[in-house]
Parts: sequence; C-alpha cells; structure tokens
Amino acid sequence: MQNDTILEVNDLKMHFPIRAGFLQRVVGHIKAVDGVSFAVRRNEVLGLVGESGCGKTTVGRAILRLYDPTAGDVWYRTASGERVNVAKLKAKEIKPLRREMRMIFQDPFSSLNPRRTVKELIGEPLIIHGVARGKALEARVAELMTEVGLDPAYMDRYPHEFSGGQRQRIGIARTLALSPRLIVADEPVSALDVSVQAQVLNLLQSLKEELGLTLIFIAHDLSVVEHISDRIAVMYVGKIVEMAPSEELLRRPLHPYTEALVSAVPPADPDIKTQRIILEGDVPSPANPPSGCVFHPRCRYANDTTCRTVAPALEEVQPGRFVACHLARELQLAGIGG
Amino acid sequence: MTDSIRIDDVVKERALEPLPAAEEEQPVADPELAAVLRQLARSHESYGALVWRKFKRSKVAIVGGLIVVGLFIMAIFADFFSPYDPVRLNMGDAFTPPTRIHFIDSAGRFHFQPFVYKSVRKLNPDMSSTWVEDTSVRYPIVFFKRGWEYKLFGIFPTDIHLFGAAGDAKIFLLGTDRFGRDIFGRSCMAGRISLTMALFGTLISVLVGAIVGVFSGYYGGAIDNWTQRFVEFVQSFPQLPLWMALAAVIPITWDQFAVFVTMSFIFALLSWTLLAREVRGKVLALRETDFVLAAREMGASDARIMFQHLLPNTFSHIIVVLTLTIPTIILAESFLSFLGIGIQEPLMSWGTLMRDAQTIQTLGFNPWIASSVLFIVAAVLGFNFLGDGLRDAADPYAND
Repeated sequence: MQNDTILEVNDLKMHFPIRAGFLQRVVGHIKAVDGVSFAVRRNEVLGLVGESGCGKTTVGRAILRLYDPTAGDVWYRTASGERVNVAKLKAKEIKPLRREMRMIFQDPFSSLNPRRTVKELIGEPLIIHGVARGKALEARVAELMTEVGLDPAYMDRYPHEFSGGQRQRIGIARTLALSPRLIVADEPVSALDVSVQAQVLNLLQSLKEELGLTLIFIAHDLSVVEHISDRIAVMYVGKIVEMAPSEELLRRPLHPYTEALVSAVPPADPDIKTQRIILEGDVPSPANPPSGCVFHPRCRYANDTTCRTVAPALEEVQPGRFVACHLARELQLAGIGG
Repeated sequence: MTDSIRIDDVVKERALEPLPAAEEEQPVADPELAAVLRQLARSHESYGALVWRKFKRSKVAIVGGLIVVGLFIMAIFADFFSPYDPVRLNMGDAFTPPTRIHFIDSAGRFHFQPFVYKSVRKLNPDMSSTWVEDTSVRYPIVFFKRGWEYKLFGIFPTDIHLFGAAGDAKIFLLGTDRFGRDIFGRSCMAGRISLTMALFGTLISVLVGAIVGVFSGYYGGAIDNWTQRFVEFVQSFPQLPLWMALAAVIPITWDQFAVFVTMSFIFALLSWTLLAREVRGKVLALRETDFVLAAREMGASDARIMFQHLLPNTFSHIIVVLTLTIPTIILAESFLSFLGIGIQEPLMSWGTLMRDAQTIQTLGFNPWIASSVLFIVAAVLGFNFLGDGLRDAADPYAND
C-alpha cells in the first residue's frame, strides 16, 4: 500500500444466500461481488461503472460495511494514518470510521425520512457522533446547506417540499456533515433529470476540490462518470473487467464490454456518426454465472476455446491499465475521438 | 481529465431551482394553473396542517370528533353539568321519569324560555304509583344556577351548575334511579371512569403493541418468528372469559385506584396484539428502505433507528388502532361492570349504572334507568367515526 493510497480492496466477495422452502434452507448463492480488487488514492475520483445488477452498489456498501463481506479485505488508511481492515472490524469498532467514510444514496426520495425536517436530517450524523447540538448544530446545518447551494431558511421544512435535485443536495449535505475523507457516491444523479444531473455533478466536483475528498463514484452510465472520474473501473457480473485512467479507457478500451459501453456514450458533436454496439442477450444471473469469461456469451470476439473455459484474470497489460480479457493484446477496439 | 470538458462551463454556479413562492392565494383565471398553485401552497404546510385539512373533509369524522370532545367535556365538568348531587340519596324522587321540557303551556301559549312542571306522584287504587305533571305553575329552566356545592377540578369550591329549574321544581333530563339520583348527572360522572379507563388501557396496549411490533419487525428472523407465535398464542385466548376470570380475582379489599389500574391492565393484556401485528408489518416493509440504510450508514444505533426512524412512520397505523381500541375497552368495561365484576360501587362507570337495569321488572316499569346506554353508544360511535376519518387523514401524502 503506497502512502497516498486511502483505500485498498483485495479480492472482495459478497455472496448472498438464496433461501427456499419451509425451512428456509440455503439452496444457492447470488455472487453479487465475486473477487473485486482495486485501490483508490487520496483525492482521486474512481468511477465504478456497470449495468444494473452487476454488483457495483454491493461493492460500495461492502466497503462501508453496510454488508458484511463474505471474503476479502478492505484496507482503509484513517486520518491518523492507521491502516485498518474495514471488512474484519467488529461492529463496535466501525462507528468512529463512519465519520470518515460516508455514502451518498441513489434515490433522494427514499433515502430521506419523510417525517424529519431538513435540520434533523442533516444534523443527525452530528448528533449520533456527539459533535454538536442545539445552536451549534443549527449553525453547522446552515453552513452545510449553504455549501451545497440550499437556502438555510428552509431548514425547518420536510423533504416532500423539495424537488429531486434539492433533495439530493440535502443528502449530500448530510454526507458532508462530519467532514468525511472518503465518500462512496452510489449513483447520486441517476434518479434526477438530466438538467439537474449536471448541477449535482458540478456540485460534487467543486466540493471534492474544496474539501479534498476522495470519491468512489458509482454509475451505470459512462457519460456520467467520464468527466468527474480520474480513473474508471468497469464491472460486469460481480467482477472488474477493466480499470484504467478515464481518458485512456474512453479513447481506447481494451475490453469488448467496455467498447460496447463506450459506444453508448453520446458524442459531444451531434454530427459525428458513431457505431453503436448493441449487445445481444441478457446479463447472466449472478447466481449461475457462465463458465470461463463471464462475458463470452455476449462477446462478439469470443472464441470457443479459452474464452469459454478459462476465466481471465485482471492483468496490468499497460502501465496503469488493467483488463480481464484473453484477447486484450490482440484486439483493436473502438473508442471515442483520436 | 481537462478543464475544457468540465460541465461547469454550462452551469457555473451551484444553481438552485427556485422554491415555489405562492404563499398568498391570488385569483388565477386558468383553472389548471390555479390547481398547480394550490398544490404548491399546500406543500408549505406542516404535517399537522395537512392532516387537519384532510380530516376536515370528512363530515362523519367531524361529527365523531365532536361527540368525543363533548363526552370528554361532560366527564371533566361532570359536577357542573349535574344539577343535583349524583351520590346523595333522595328516596322521595325515586324512579322519577325524565322531566319533559315544555315550550307551550297547558293553555296552549308559547313561551320563549323553556320550562318544566313539577312532577307529582299519584297513588293508584292498586297501590302502584304514577307520576303526573302539575300544570298549575310553570318553572322556567335557568342556566348557571346555584345548587349543591362541589370543587371544580377538585380545587375550587363552587356551587354553580349549567342548568336547573327555578324554584323548588326539579329537572331530571334522563329520570332518576331507585334512590332518586339524577341519571344524567350520574352518567356524566360515570364517563370519568369509563373514558379514563379506556384511554389508560389503550395507552398501555398501544405502548406494548408498538414496542413489540417494532422489535419484531426490525430484528426479523428468529426473534420475529417467536414474537409472532407468542402474539398468536395471546390472540387465541377467549377474550371475555379471560377478562371475567381476571377481573373476578381482584380482591374487594383493594382501594379504588388499584382496582382501576388493574382493570386497565387487564383490558390491555389482550388488545396489544392487534397493534403489534400492524406495526410489525409496516416496519418489515420500512426497514428495507434507503433511509433506514442511511441511518445505519451514519452509525445510528438500533434503538435510534427503531424509535426515531421507524416508529414515527407507523403513526398513522397507531392512531387508527388507538381509536379502534378505545371503544372496545369501553364496551368490555361496561359489560364486566354490568355483570358486577371489576368496577364496584361507589365508583361509577357507565357499566355499573346499567346494573340497575338488570331486573326485567324494574326495567319494564322504569325504562329510563337504562339510559346510560346512550352514553356508551355515543362514545363507541364517536370513536369509530373519528378513527375512520383519522385513518384517511393520518397519511396526507397518499393520493386523494
């Protein structure tokens, strides 16, 4: 672990048991996350991209120990420089870490308790961790609301009185309340209108720069993360298939799945004609993933030998560029721009 | 990543969508726009205001609410409403039928002020007696009349009563019982025990039910399973026999307050299960929501999640079950008291008043002695109507 690495995830696995029958016996496992490894440097924004159900949200929640991972380590470097394995900590030892590692939730409607005022919502982490109460709490909430672009005058209102974008700002203010160092943003804009998405993304970007945050930005859409992320990791059925600096990943993807995702990003210039790659078939079930490379049934380049039988490992094929594909060195895949 | 592709260029500031500012009502020609403005204005109201707005729309609920409030006022100010001491025996007035209130006298003249005639007992040849009105003198009904002395709220001594008949005539709105005591006054007085016991019993039942429900729903798994089996076990008890058995074993030597509290607990004993079920179901659904996950992510304790996040979101269910449990307990208490178990004289409840109507003979000749049943019916209907309206109003965010 390098000194500027804030988080290192090693072979993280999160398997959910499938229960059935009267006795609720375990009949199988959903391998939502199946051996994911990556590292995040301080002040970096790592985009985590993939289709619905690929396990990206589960990765985020397992990092914050909202789930107890089945296997693997999550090494986190605390503010005091200590290295702790979040995945193995006891429940009691987690609480102080919750001040440093926070999450932004996807749905600004269901993630805010409808029966609490904005002040109570944003101030709650402060109360839980005994940071402030009374007038000091109110002052801090006002400060946070201003920081995310909300008028503190609306402190005593209920969430249903706000629009989706404003609610997400409330959620962000709540996340920032304890001055965290690492934030897992779980699709923070996917529930918002496109026009509001840009506002919230800009807000996150400037907050990140002002406050020196480290972000893990989860999204299902490359176009959302491409601008905000320094590096992007692409997930498919519980595994990372490619991880690279954003620009390189977009310009020249190394994994056929990334190529398909990149082809779906609308170009800035509407006159540019792009070749949209439509993937055939559905995402395989994480309860019963295909043999070999999990992507081979939908891959246009897959061969019948290695791809079908051998699962590719995530390898560093170029400096800083990781890919899990047998054909990575042979294929010339299409990206965006030069 | 370069600055040239930053989306910042499009929206430089952290622009904020303006909050709707339609607080005053303005005449708007376009009906669609008017509807939108109303919607916006409404979104500024607090939760309480929203509930009240929706509650007001139901006429039945308003009627129910008025009945309930009226009964409580009558019970609290029972001495004030009761023209005669409800405890003092007055054998001369035994079994007086309800006094008729007149506007038109025996000569056919109309009087603006209502009045009563004196009732006189007439002995029949077969030694039975009937009451007849002596129409020679009119006794107008007067308000805020001075009568027997009492202490308002048990503190301020006074002798003012809401109404009474002028002179030495008497007014018994619902007649008298076999000791000549005014049944109307006694019913008001009895409302104190009947209503407070119902409220107290319901309070215990709601507390237990809500806590058990939240625990069961939040922890789930084996805890939930065992709790629900226990709830089923309690529910499988036959209510009435159990109540009767428990009420019957209360020692007569206990003081009145102890009996009162014990009776409340007995009624709560079986009725908490309904709420426990409802709350558990709601919590089971709520605990999967993002705001509970968010609370956990902040490091909130289980107790905090249960009592600050989950429980407040089940208030609509609690309110409804509350208004449904109260009439159940009123009925149960009346029933037991009618049978002579539980509340005993000299304590008065609507049920103990009904005891006088137990012998069919007395009831046949003096049907008014059962008139405290009117209070029971009014209370039960009132609470049910109220509960109906509250059920719709308690969740103002649901679509109309």
